[in-house]
Amino acid sequence: MKHILFLIAGFIFFTLNLKAQSKQEPWRPDQLMAPKVLADKITSNQGHNVLILSVGPDAVIKGSVDIGPAQDAEHIGKLKAQLKNAPKDKEIVIYCGCCPFNKCPNIRPAFTALNEMGFKNAKLLDIPKNIKVDWLDKDYPTNE
Amino acid sequence: MRTLLQILTLYFLTHSAMAQSNQVKVGQAAPDISLTKPDGTQLSLHSLKGKLVLIDFWATWCAPCVKEQPELKSLYSKFHKHVNDDQFEILGVSFDKNGDSWQKAIERLDISWPQVSDLKFWKSPVAKVYGIEELPFNVIVDAQGKVIAVSLHGKELEEFISNQLAAE
Repeated sequence: MKHILFLIAGFIFFTLNLKAQSKQEPWRPDQLMAPKVLADKITSNQGHNVLILSVGPDAVIKGSVDIGPAQDAEHIGKLKAQLKNAPKDKEIVIYCGCCPFNKCPNIRPAFTALNEMGFKNAKLLDIPKNIKVDWLDKDYPTNE
Repeated sequence: MRTLLQILTLYFLTHSAMAQSNQVKVGQAAPDISLTKPDGTQLSLHSLKGKLVLIDFWATWCAPCVKEQPELKSLYSKFHKHVNDDQFEILGVSFDKNGDSWQKAIERLDISWPQVSDLKFWKSPVAKVYGIEELPFNVIVDAQGKVIAVSLHGKELEEFISNQLAAE
């Protein structure tokens, strides 16, 4: 009986913790895009339907626009200027890739700006480690 | 069931060993790094032979790396006598892309040890040669140019350098 109570308590704690974590993020889980999905879109020439924006150290992904690290207000301004005339239902994918999400200073201010501007189809590239391991090393398409 | 577990364990161990196999290892000769300093002149790791060298791989876009710089600064001050006696040096190798951001960060963080970069971000050949997959990362090289430690930080790093310099 003790064990069951312990397991239930553990499950509740885990669920609450997960909820608390997802609440803090400006994106929803369904707004995360796997790198392979984006790479396939680019290689099958569907990349032009998507606006890909780098909000980190370098715009390595093919066809992406270099906004610069979004932790700087200057680059948030650049992001807003870039999107000024974009339709609100445009598919936009932002990425950083400096490091895992929990250490990244750029994705949150950038995604918050997209939400504030009312973009309904904004995505965040789901990079678990960094752009080297999760994009370059996989030989996905690059700008150079 | 037990066999399945054994197979899975073996798979993960092999996979993990393969994934890390490219990283520079303790005991091997440190591959040379010959890159450009902010003033445009070249500096090579081999030119520092005879000294204990801490190679700090970093970038201004790597928040934990930037956070570590004041610790390296106090470490550099602590062992400054050894720096002056040509026994110890820190070599900062940046994976920045933007030269301006790099130079501004060096000034802002008041970094006084030598800094080099090819400004090629993760496409720098140095990242490949040293098998670096994430930052921060560092390597300690002895006076003979051999790798004697990899990825030490904080107190552990300070103690290791202190012990090495005391043993000389």
